[in-house]
Amino acid sequence: MKQFKTLFKTKRFTLVLLSLLLATTTGVAQASMEPLVEQGNTAYNEGDFQKAISLYEQTLKMGQHSAALYFNLGNSYYRLNKVAESIYYFEKAKQLNPKDEDIQINSAFAQNMTIDAIENLPESQIAQFQKSLFGVFSFSTWSVLTVLLLWVFVGLFLGYLFFKSAQLKRSFFFSAMLVLLVFLTSFFVTFTIDQQDKNTQYAILFSDQIDIWSEPNLQGDLLFTLHEGTKVQLLDKLEEWQKIRIANGSEGWIRNASLRKLERAITK
Amino acid sequence: MLGAISVQSQVSFNAKVSKKRLGINERLRIDFEMNENGDNFNPPPFTNFQVVSGPQQSVSRSWVNGVQSFSKTYTYFLTPKTKGKITIGQAEITINGEVYKTTPISVEVTEAVKKPNDPNNIDYVIDGNIHLVAEISKTNPYLNEGITVIYKLYFRNPISVSDVSELESPSYADFWSHLINIPRAEINMRGTYKGEPYNEVVWRKAVLYPQKTGKLVLPPLTLNLSLNVPSNRRDLFGRRILTQAQKMITTGQNTIRVKSLPEKNKPENFSGAVGQFDFDLILDKEALKASESFQAKIKVKGKGNLKLFNLPTISVPNTLEVYEPEHDEQVKITLSGMQGTIEDNYTIVPQFQGKYPIPPVQFSYFDPQTASYKTLTSRDLIVDVFDGPTAGTPRTSSTGTEPKQVITTNENAFRFIKLDTTLSRINQEVFWMSRSFWILLLLPLFLLLTAYLIKLFVFDKTEDASSLKQRRAQQLAKKYLSSAKKEFHDQARFYEALERALHNYLKAKLKIETTELSKSKIESLLTEKKVAQHIAQEFVTVVENCEMARYAPGSSVNIQGDFEKASTLIAQIDRQL
Repeated sequence: MKQFKTLFKTKRFTLVLLSLLLATTTGVAQASMEPLVEQGNTAYNEGDFQKAISLYEQTLKMGQHSAALYFNLGNSYYRLNKVAESIYYFEKAKQLNPKDEDIQINSAFAQNMTIDAIENLPESQIAQFQKSLFGVFSFSTWSVLTVLLLWVFVGLFLGYLFFKSAQLKRSFFFSAMLVLLVFLTSFFVTFTIDQQDKNTQYAILFSDQIDIWSEPNLQGDLLFTLHEGTKVQLLDKLEEWQKIRIANGSEGWIRNASLRKLERAITK
Repeated sequence: MLGAISVQSQVSFNAKVSKKRLGINERLRIDFEMNENGDNFNPPPFTNFQVVSGPQQSVSRSWVNGVQSFSKTYTYFLTPKTKGKITIGQAEITINGEVYKTTPISVEVTEAVKKPNDPNNIDYVIDGNIHLVAEISKTNPYLNEGITVIYKLYFRNPISVSDVSELESPSYADFWSHLINIPRAEINMRGTYKGEPYNEVVWRKAVLYPQKTGKLVLPPLTLNLSLNVPSNRRDLFGRRILTQAQKMITTGQNTIRVKSLPEKNKPENFSGAVGQFDFDLILDKEALKASESFQAKIKVKGKGNLKLFNLPTISVPNTLEVYEPEHDEQVKITLSGMQGTIEDNYTIVPQFQGKYPIPPVQFSYFDPQTASYKTLTSRDLIVDVFDGPTAGTPRTSSTGTEPKQVITTNENAFRFIKLDTTLSRINQEVFWMSRSFWILLLLPLFLLLTAYLIKLFVFDKTEDASSLKQRRAQQLAKKYLSSAKKEFHDQARFYEALERALHNYLKAKLKIETTELSKSKIESLLTEKKVAQHIAQEFVTVVENCEMARYAPGSSVNIQGDFEKASTLIAQIDRQL
């Protein structure tokens, strides 16, 4: 009976912690900003894209965002024929909501406006599998899941420790080990996503046209030219030179480029 | 009537010398010319000169269209006596009662020349009266700045030119050149050469665009002339006989210093255009259906090296199919250089619906007049493609590769904005690796550890002490049974061990001390513990057997049978207890 009590206590404690956890991650949106977005939507519908943009960006400045907001900003800039801005905001929207169809379609429209045709490198099957596994949950879901799994494991292991019956003990032990394995996988996945995010910094090119050099000086060869709206991965940096990689795997140095970084966005 | 005309026309009285510069061994001819008849001609004192002949007086009078013209000349031939600058003084004449004077003339007398300029020597006459000149519009142009070269032939009396042939035509290496044809050489009687009247013939015009910087040499033009020159001999009527002479005449080499274009402020997209230009990018349609085509025209109009630079290229969004441009030139080359329009016509076919910005194209040129670079930028243009291609039409790609979009936009229209206004904070704390994350991760492990320790030290301690003892007894019994098994060969020791094992077992199971262990007690205790009657009896029998074997050695015993019996009994009792 004593054992049961302890177990019950731990379980209740877990529940309390879980609810706490959910409360912190969900966050509480400030209701005061929403009318601003609504006004922006109205302005967009009336064709006043400039006004819509200023309203949306005001919302961003107040520290509020959502995939829909970025999507609307991308649309407004598209309507004003501003390629780089449009692509930038569609990318931001994709970060928050990678699977949304609307975002993907309009993003393709914006991509149509770019000058350069860059083909993506084909992905290996392992990379594809990895991507689909990582994409099952969003990053924060993964991290919450990791913690939850550890709690489940501990619960099951306690069950193994404190139950007397050999039968129950056995099943508790095996399920605990299974959950431990899943926990380790989940921890690894979350860790890898985090590392990938930290190590890969993307940006959208805002310069109208820019030359890509083989070396961070003008003595190197001129490799190719890029135009605004290209998504680049930022690599090394040397003074005013920035090394970049584009989707087809080409690398090179650009000088004094106007780039806007796509900061890491943690999705809910 | 005559007097009236004389009064109206201006009286002139001039002195003219054949040469202003001559060697001491040469002759000088001086003419005093007047257009009214006068008296009392008084020549200047020809100090420093010796008069060879003269004065010779000649009068000419002519009527042209009822207008009378008159001229009277006094001519002297002189040889200088000294070197240096000699001034010939004023001559005087009285015309209609007034005294007119000529202006004094200065003549420079130099060292003796090899060939005295004998006016009767043919070569001297030719050299002095015929010149071939290359007139260059600008001798220090910029690279690619157009210059003109005009070759002019000057000649004057008494020489006349009967035939001209070109011996050596200049080849303009390092230049882009264009010759302007002159269909028929025309003689301009009013030309001047070094301030003196000459007959002028423009032989050739060339427009040149230097393609190299530095000192460039223009090769000479050499002409072979057939000339008619008057000789000393005279014919029956006293006229001089013309002699035919051949003469080679050359312009000599001319050098042009070509300046390089300044590096300062040189635009990046500068492609070598030098001149004055206008630039535009024109689309023939701004809205069309997909798979229709439209034309984009890059046009440069103006004056400059139009044929010598490349037009800027158009860059369009990648989903527009662009064909190689058609080049069109309408350039006239005149003496002022190339003038006209050059165009590149691009045919463009959009594949998908959408809006396509045509980014502005920049065109830079160098204006040699202001010596500065100028950049013209075309307008921002948007092409609106409003209708996608019909479904099922395979997309033909110019590159032959797959289109980069997974989603082809032809079936999906541009989506409207999302109206969901739910927002969240941008700078949310990342849960992963945060403090709360670690707390939540380590807390269960800590709990697990505590629980384990509690179990180890509290639960196991408070657990029934008897159960502990019991377990020990069981272990002991097993141990003794096993020790008995080892003594199979020695009957006495086997039974001793077996008995001890049984006792130990009972001590543990029934919680009794060895001293109390009598056979009846065992039986009653076992029955008390709800062990079946026959098992209890059997247990007692085994104990009796053991005692018997111990105290009466040699009696017939079954070691193997007793051991097995004991172990089965223990197992049976254990199950029932």
